[in-house]
Amino acid sequence: MVGLITPLYDAAPGVGVAVAQRMDPVKAAVLVVRVFLGGLLLAAGGLKVGHPAELAANIAVFRLLPAAIVGPLALALPYVELLLGGYLVAGLFTRVAACVAAAQFAAYAAAIASAVVRHIPAACGCFGPHDTSVADWPHVGYDALLAAASAFVAYGAPGALAVDRKLRSA
Amino acid sequence: MTRRALVVATTFLLALIALGAILYYFIGPRHGAVQNASVSPIVGKAQLGAPAPQFEVASTAGLFDLSKADKPVFLEVFATWCPHCQHEVAIVNRLYQKYRTSVEFLGVSGSDTAMDGTSTASELDVLNWVRRFKVQYPVAYDPLLNVANLYLQGGFPTVAIIGKDKKIDYLDSGEIAYQDLVGAIEKVLR
Repeated sequence: MVGLITPLYDAAPGVGVAVAQRMDPVKAAVLVVRVFLGGLLLAAGGLKVGHPAELAANIAVFRLLPAAIVGPLALALPYVELLLGGYLVAGLFTRVAACVAAAQFAAYAAAIASAVVRHIPAACGCFGPHDTSVADWPHVGYDALLAAASAFVAYGAPGALAVDRKLRSA
Repeated sequence: MTRRALVVATTFLLALIALGAILYYFIGPRHGAVQNASVSPIVGKAQLGAPAPQFEVASTAGLFDLSKADKPVFLEVFATWCPHCQHEVAIVNRLYQKYRTSVEFLGVSGSDTAMDGTSTASELDVLNWVRRFKVQYPVAYDPLLNVANLYLQGGFPTVAIIGKDKKIDYLDSGEIAYQDLVGAIEKVLR
């Protein structure tokens, strides 16, 4: 019998609609936000892969970190974003992944805000080297919203259709 | 696969990413470019709307003296190793073809590191940059980085457009779109 907390992938074919109708709205919301954030991180990471020098230059402009950290960070960040994005989409280690994503977006918001306050003309570079949008207050707002969305996912983790549920029931 | 195995795999993957990044930073195929790009660039005293700081340099088209320029000046401070600058050449070439009769164009090197990201910048390196990226506008090698120290705005390339009144009408850094620069030049020509 398919219960309220049974994940969709456990349902037999044809039972999905009935299950969806009974899905907890919080779990459904967490699923939607989780997949959105994961997709965003997958896109952001994917577009940065192969452009470490460009990303390093974008980070260095903020003048917040020493060169010895900026370089390795620029090299590692795209793959970390891909990993985080993949985990969020799959719902694997959801709470930890969402907490890390929230911290990451909050750090981006703080870095951009500091650049705006110091009148540094920095490019966002959020989606790779061809993203030349200027780091400004709206970007601070977007990143703060994404941090809040990640915190929501961490709070309601893992949400529906998450590998975490499968692991828990295994 | 158990949760424990996934935790171990994730930890291993993160360690691999961190180790790979550190190794690439020191010995990777383009580590020099990454190391140079990681250094925070200079922010000069040039300011939008303020009088343009005076400079003179020897360019591929002869001596350039800002105080003697009788046309608006399009100044680009670049680094030969900088990928953004390499991409921007095609845009500045297009602008040069369109406005060369009404605007003076000048690219000035602003880094003490050469195109390979490891050796020291030189006049030869700047000439190699001109040949390799088919730069059409006049370019100058500035060994003391005087122009960069005056105009650079925290990122390569920095573009300054100086009006006939010798005030800075446009100042920005990074890869700038062709249409944005056309708009800035048209404004200064009005």
